Amino acid sequence: MKKLLLSTTALILAMAIGPALAQEEIVVGTDVDAGTLDARLTRDTTAYRVADLVYSGLVHITPKLEAVPDLVESWETPDPQTFVFKLREGLKFSDGTPLTADDVVYTYTTLLDPDFNAPMRTLYTPIKSVEKVDDLTVKFNLDTPYAPLLSYLDLGIVPQELAEGGQDLATQPVGAGPMKLASWNRGAEIVLEANPNYWAGAPKIEKVTLKIIPDNSARAQAFEAGDLDVIQSPLSPQDISRLAADDRFGNAIMPGLGVTYINFNTKDPLLADPKMRQAFAMLVDQQTIVGDIYQGVDEVATSVLLPSSWAYSPEIKQPTFNLEGAVALFNELGWTDSNGDGILDKDGKNLTVTLATHSEDPNRVQTVEFLQAMFSQAGVDAKTQITDWPSFSTNYVQKSQHQIALLGWLNLVDPDRLLFSQLTTGGSTNWGGYSNPKVDELLEKGRSSLDQKERAAAYQEAAKILAEELPYFIVSYQGYQLFYDKDFPSEVNATPRGYLRGLIGMETQ
Amino acid sequence: MRLPKPLRNPSFVIGAAITLFIVGCAVLAPYVAPYGVEQMDMRNRFAGPSLEHLLGTDNFGRDLWSRMVFGARISLIIAVVSVGGAALIGTVVGLVSGYFGGWVDLVLGRITDIFLGFPAIILALAIVAVLGPGIMNVSLALIVVFWTEYARVVRGAALVLREQNYVQAARALGASPLRIIFREILPNALGPIIVLASLGLGTAIISESALSFLGFGLPPPAPTWGWTLSYGTRFMRDEPWLAIVSGAAIMITVLGFNLLGDGLRDLLDPRQLSRGGGERRND
Amino acid sequence: MIAYIIRRLLLFIPMAVGMVVVTFGLLLIIPGDPASVLLGQEASPEAIERLRDSLGLNDPWYVRLWDYFANLLSGDFGTSIFQNQPVATIILGRLGATLELAVAALVIATVLGLAMGVISAMRQGSIVDTVTMIFAQLGVSMPVYWLGLLLMLAFAVQLGWLPAIGRGPPLPEAFWAALTGKPQVLMDSLSHLLLPALALSAMPAAIISRLTRTSMLEMLREDFVRTAYAKGLRRPRVIIRHVLRNALLPVLSVIGLRFGMLLGGAVLTESIFAWPGLGQLTITAISQRDLPLIQGIVLTFALIFALVNLIVDLLYAAVDPRVRLG
Repeated sequence: MKKLLLSTTALILAMAIGPALAQEEIVVGTDVDAGTLDARLTRDTTAYRVADLVYSGLVHITPKLEAVPDLVESWETPDPQTFVFKLREGLKFSDGTPLTADDVVYTYTTLLDPDFNAPMRTLYTPIKSVEKVDDLTVKFNLDTPYAPLLSYLDLGIVPQELAEGGQDLATQPVGAGPMKLASWNRGAEIVLEANPNYWAGAPKIEKVTLKIIPDNSARAQAFEAGDLDVIQSPLSPQDISRLAADDRFGNAIMPGLGVTYINFNTKDPLLADPKMRQAFAMLVDQQTIVGDIYQGVDEVATSVLLPSSWAYSPEIKQPTFNLEGAVALFNELGWTDSNGDGILDKDGKNLTVTLATHSEDPNRVQTVEFLQAMFSQAGVDAKTQITDWPSFSTNYVQKSQHQIALLGWLNLVDPDRLLFSQLTTGGSTNWGGYSNPKVDELLEKGRSSLDQKERAAAYQEAAKILAEELPYFIVSYQGYQLFYDKDFPSEVNATPRGYLRGLIGMETQ
Repeated sequence: MRLPKPLRNPSFVIGAAITLFIVGCAVLAPYVAPYGVEQMDMRNRFAGPSLEHLLGTDNFGRDLWSRMVFGARISLIIAVVSVGGAALIGTVVGLVSGYFGGWVDLVLGRITDIFLGFPAIILALAIVAVLGPGIMNVSLALIVVFWTEYARVVRGAALVLREQNYVQAARALGASPLRIIFREILPNALGPIIVLASLGLGTAIISESALSFLGFGLPPPAPTWGWTLSYGTRFMRDEPWLAIVSGAAIMITVLGFNLLGDGLRDLLDPRQLSRGGGERRND
Repeated sequence: MIAYIIRRLLLFIPMAVGMVVVTFGLLLIIPGDPASVLLGQEASPEAIERLRDSLGLNDPWYVRLWDYFANLLSGDFGTSIFQNQPVATIILGRLGATLELAVAALVIATVLGLAMGVISAMRQGSIVDTVTMIFAQLGVSMPVYWLGLLLMLAFAVQLGWLPAIGRGPPLPEAFWAALTGKPQVLMDSLSHLLLPALALSAMPAAIISRLTRTSMLEMLREDFVRTAYAKGLRRPRVIIRHVLRNALLPVLSVIGLRFGMLLGGAVLTESIFAWPGLGQLTITAISQRDLPLIQGIVLTFALIFALVNLIVDLLYAAVDPRVRLG
């Protein structure tokens, strides 16, 4: 029975430092326009970031990825399958209407409705029901113990009355966050202004403008030209090194929450044997990829566990680059260059594979191009397939048509988010068809135990197996970068998720 | 002694020289390229021009000259196939439409309108997305985009030519329409087609590079100019050389074809086509 | 005249229907599923199927095509899958930016092209002529996105004179602001517009200048021009009254044709300069497989294309009494 009663004095103190004098505003560069600003339906980084400001969730996730109270005062877990949340008193949405337990129940009930088609629904499916105890108390009942849940409860609470009354929250969002939507010029900019009804008071920054500039380099140029006050990942590696060296700008460079990885299709006859996957993995020169193509912005990865995670262990290691070793392993598996044409063959068939990725990310394209050259050097006849994201994802990888594909996962706030749906037998995003009962068991344990030590042990054991069987080969841990103008009107507290509360004085370290 | 007429036309001479040079490089690529086109050297990325690397190296340390030379092959193949295909289809449609007139013309005219109304880039992107990237698929996409031009110009020429005395005479003598179209009309409409085609080669090269730029061209490691330029723009701030060389390769080649086309136009018929020359699409 | 316009507009209908069908067919076989793109990588296959059902993507193709036409007849262009807004609203919201860019590019191209063309024709064979025509050749040979990047690198990044990307306040609003005493708003708007418009204008400027030159040279050889000279009319007057006026006809038709193509060329320019117009929207719509939006964009381009052609023909008739509309 853990009872958390967290003081919020730190947060209030942080805001009390110096009352705002003049109109303080910041302009932030972002890469895509938001699709929808309904907190339950957001699906792109811009929408996440705007929703984080416009809405408040039950909890807030700090830069260190800890859940701290936002709309709630405290919570308790009477048993591993029950969470009880106590809301703050006098909460209001930005339009002045009160926020009560009904709104929380409404938000989560609609989110869990399959017909509502919420993109993130899978993260919440272990929730059996959400019920109102009284106006300020909400109870979550789970099907099974689900440790990652708290990390996802920063989901913005939407106003039931407005939503049911037909207001389109997708375009006219109303929440209880520190900012509210002022205007939204599609494809160009989203303007937010301070919300005086936020429970902790209005933020110091009165206006936040998100300018949409799709091209990474163009965005960096606009920042250098002074059109933007802040830019952040995704950025081009070559821009990052230049910006970091420029003393007009401050920066926050830290490990991110994403990985770039190779997805091996374990159902493909050629790749069904883990040894084959090992041999291919040994052809991935991570040092060069990370050092030259990503220019040291990302970090060489060693396993499926992120270094920033409590589950990380430096002991677990995937195979590393070893050209001769790879060739020796291929030979051992019967692939030799028997006809002297420079390409390995077996039973009269050449060793041919297709390396695929999507065309939108030039760094991934370069990585595939580089891998293709390394594969050729080892005597593998490697072809490349590079198409745009919809062709690549829906019609190829997600239909398990691929052999070796270069992809990424983002927002890995918990190890479960990278592993459970992806690598358990029959998991909803297990495109490589990987199946290992032992791994299934460990990943199940990792998500259901509420004891962090136990969880870490389970994930480490799973990671060890995965580092040998390699359904995934993690190429790099993505870095996160944020650059800001030295004249920035507020203290900068960056979070690897790229959320912006730390830029408007609403984040405590 | 005076030079033969074509050699007195500066556009033609310069255009032909550039074109010959590019075509020569493409044909002789394996002999004029000192390095393998996929031969990487990660320790020597973005090297400037030197004796070892005439045009320097690219983002993988590959010899840029070798890649440009092999890239010329891809660009030229796509240009020739797409222009040839577009000219063929457009000419047939234009001849039939112009010669027969009436409802045939009306129907073919509406079909032409449909393709003309599409913004070129949407049509090309969609077709490449459907077919998947590849030399022939990219060419096919460009054929679909460009055939309408030929159809329009040839139809116009056919409309005029079918009223000519010799065509009327052939018809009176009972020649079949097919024979009249191909024996009497087509040879007289060839001039505009050739000029349009030579100008179209440049357009095709620019369009192919634009497709690559948007990520819809041939996938790397194919040494296409478009991808090299697309990579080049990524490094433009710090290593502008890559973008300059690949962009210049495209520009010089297109310039060669355009000059050649202009020269041909002057030589073949100085008046008839001066108005058609502006109607190239390039987007 | 009215009858002619009506006839032309009626001819647009089969073209539009054809374009809808062709687009529909292409989108039917194009790989990639909007439902899956919309829901993202983490969505389960069941969730994607459910969304496909609710979007009607699982209906047979003839039902979907029929529905689309039925909606179109009632003035409904559909709803964007990704933006959850009526397609017509989204397109109208973007149209202004693209028209502003295209018109600006066309104005620059026309002024520059005419000036260059007239000057080279008057000084045929001189250095000025040669240099101008070399510029014109380079203009048609340069990929528009390459030129755009070079301009951006030079004037925005190195020199810092102009903003690199984005759009300022809409030009009409900016003019109004300038009239009401806020000239800096107009400056802001124009400074954003200049680089992309310049990049986009290079090709048509080159073409217009060459055409003007050729057509001026032809006119200068005509009898009536010689007669005018012989009658002792002064040179500039002859040029303006007789030569330029007649030489403008073919130029006019090319300007019209070019306008449609400018809109297409705007796709690349807009994506480089982050100009929030139709071109950028096109790329986004294709990359998301936002089927109703792609359909809407294609129809919009078709309509503009048809209208511009009609206007050019009408203008042509107005300028040249010999041309009869029929």
